[in-house]
Amino acid sequence: MRVFTRVSAAVAVSLSLAATAAQAQSANASINARADVRQQITVTGVRDLDFGVAIQGVNKTVGVTSTSSGQFSSTGTSGSNVAITFTLPTNLASGANNLAINTWTGCYNGAAANASVGCTAFTPAAAATNTTFGAAGLFVFVGATVAPTAAQPVGIYTSAVTMTLTYF
Amino acid sequence: MDARMRWTLAALSLLLVATTSRGHAQVSAVGIRDLNFGIVIRGVPNTVSPADPVKSGQFYFSTPGIGSRVRIQFTLPTQLNGPAGATLPITFGTTDALLRGTAGSSANVTLNPNTTTTLTATTSRDANVWIGGRVTPAANQVTGAYSNTIVLTITVF
Repeated sequence: MRVFTRVSAAVAVSLSLAATAAQAQSANASINARADVRQQITVTGVRDLDFGVAIQGVNKTVGVTSTSSGQFSSTGTSGSNVAITFTLPTNLASGANNLAINTWTGCYNGAAANASVGCTAFTPAAAATNTTFGAAGLFVFVGATVAPTAAQPVGIYTSAVTMTLTYF
Repeated sequence: MDARMRWTLAALSLLLVATTSRGHAQVSAVGIRDLNFGIVIRGVPNTVSPADPVKSGQFYFSTPGIGSRVRIQFTLPTQLNGPAGATLPITFGTTDALLRGTAGSSANVTLNPNTTTTLTATTSRDANVWIGGRVTPAANQVTGAYSNTIVLTITVF
């Protein structure tokens, strides 16, 4: 009888353990919520790419360091990665007449609006060119070549050059 | 040892085995992916849906088995902490959490992460939970990286 009593006590303890196991079990896990705050990008067209007078049958090129090159200025968070993309025309238009434009050139400068010093050459295109905003923002210069035919109708030809900057 | 004692010990052994087996089926939870708003522009609120396959936060949890009653509770921040003590408000909408069991037959269950939800595991013993949210940067918000912790607590009872 004495032995049975001890065993009964052990069973009672065991039942207690089982009851404990049936109580609520908890687990927790954590993740982070993250955000990278940056200032709004601004882009300003500062200067047109201006070929001036072009002669029929004679290609004319404006380089990035020319005072006639196209110029954009922009602001963004200094040090942030930024992708430069362009929407470029293949022709300048004068009414129904087209003037071929090609051989685009470009350079960007994060320090100053200077195409001659500290400007990194790149090829403007729809494909991204990656760089970073400098403390002064980002200054971009573009040049190109127009190719008037020998029978090119005379007139004023224009088209839009659009630059887009995107953080990445 | 008499026969009565042997039977009693045998019963006790079975009971202990049963108790041990129950102890192995624990509830567990794991953080899988951060809720990442990515690049946020000053002055422009940014919302991430719990269904966003890249930016939503993700947890995984498992329960002892189908039929388990599961209490799901988030501990949510009201702000993210940034450079030099700067803070970025964050809020969570009433449909900003999503739960789906891992079984093929499991369906999405929309959750309000601001409140405690109790469910019964019916199709699978484990599930993923995704969470979205919204940050509202001020126009003069200090730029830089911000973060804070989201905790998911799973209780099975």
